[in-house]
Amino acid sequence: MEKIEAKEVDFYYGDFHALKHISMDIPQNKVVAFIGPSGCGKSTFLRLFNRMNDLVPGSRLEGEILIDGKNIYAPEVQVDELRKEVGMVFQRPNPFPKSIFENVAYGLRVNGIKDKAFIEHRVEEALKGAALWNEVKEKLNASAYALSGGQQQRLCIARAMAVSPSVLLMDEPASALDPISTAKIEELISDMRGKVTIVIVTHNMQQASRVSDKTAFFYMGEMIEYDDTKVIFTNPHKEATQNYITGRFG
Amino acid sequence: MVKFVESELTQIKREVDQMWTLVFNQMEQSHEAVLNLDRTIAQQIMVRERRVDAYELKIDSDVEDFIALFSPVAVDLRFVLAMLKINGDLERIGDYADGIARFVRDTDMNEMDPELIENLQIKTMFSVVLNMLGTLQEALREEDAAKATAVLSQDEQLDMINKSSASILADYARKNPDAIPFCLGFGGVFRKLERTGDHLTNIAEEIVFYIDAKVLKHNNAEE
Repeated sequence: MEKIEAKEVDFYYGDFHALKHISMDIPQNKVVAFIGPSGCGKSTFLRLFNRMNDLVPGSRLEGEILIDGKNIYAPEVQVDELRKEVGMVFQRPNPFPKSIFENVAYGLRVNGIKDKAFIEHRVEEALKGAALWNEVKEKLNASAYALSGGQQQRLCIARAMAVSPSVLLMDEPASALDPISTAKIEELISDMRGKVTIVIVTHNMQQASRVSDKTAFFYMGEMIEYDDTKVIFTNPHKEATQNYITGRFG
Repeated sequence: MVKFVESELTQIKREVDQMWTLVFNQMEQSHEAVLNLDRTIAQQIMVRERRVDAYELKIDSDVEDFIALFSPVAVDLRFVLAMLKINGDLERIGDYADGIARFVRDTDMNEMDPELIENLQIKTMFSVVLNMLGTLQEALREEDAAKATAVLSQDEQLDMINKSSASILADYARKNPDAIPFCLGFGGVFRKLERTGDHLTNIAEEIVFYIDAKVLKHNNAEE
């Protein structure tokens, strides 16, 4: 079953044609990786799935993006509601200047939940889900800034997951982390597989091959190839893909 | 990055090619040794066998290093996997040439019966093996999958000659009881050449796997 469907998507930053006629289906509860050189459009494409590009002046979308069969760019769609369903984690961890507990509880409170016991339960569940609970359970009221970079990134994942989104977008979530923190993030992605649809942008090809079910290769605004990750990394069908993943690009 | 990865791959390919030439020469010399029961040539083959083993260890180690250091994918991964397997196949073929040389060294017979040699078609068998070995070396050098596939059918001829050799040698032994130990040993030469054909078939499949990413192995499931 398809969770996200992109249909003939073109995207412009002013006159710049950033995405060219992209159609793809992202299956439900699978992990899909976007790879490609800098400036190829993979992050731009990712940000269309929760309408982050709406904030970019002069940007324009053609085509349709459907989540659960509904066009997320239809006029009646509430962007806040959409982002409850489609969480996002960025390259650099961006915790709020609040306590660890309040960071995770934030989304629930914004959504009008006041039941203290329920919030406590969800915070614990989200922190356990992000493999952070054992490290922070004794200091939930400490500032989120007191955590290490890797812990902050897992806190951001917990914060995103606290409101139970069905899609999680990850834009190079481990590129600023050390190998141990990176391994923890990858393990988290693996644990979340089957429960949530994950789309991850990464420059780390080994990471894409380790964590994803399907991989899409982008180049100069086009999606060159999209297939099972095993196929992309063992026998890609397009020469450009092969050149990129074997480091012969340029 | 591109240049040094390429240079590592070129180096592995060069080593496999050098080992290949050595194994080809070993097999060619074993032909010479067995036809003339030439113990001097047999001795040389046995000495050179150590070089074949040394190549095998070097290529194994280089491929292991390449996988550990460069995390190859796609065509590069297929290439190093194919080289690893071809390396093992060439080493086995080298062992067979060495085994044939040991038969020549150990047999009591001083010269071959020309009629027996003719009936057994051993010259044809060596000629097919050497032709397969040479063609496959070219196929890898030229990255020509069609050339590699073309040798596959020749293996059948080796199987047939090997099959018929048993009864010819049994008849010969019956008529020449003194030659029984020789016939038993000589039968082993045919089995070695037949097994060489199997390894050459594997090599052809590995070359096609590397170039075209097709797996030919075990495709003939009905057999």
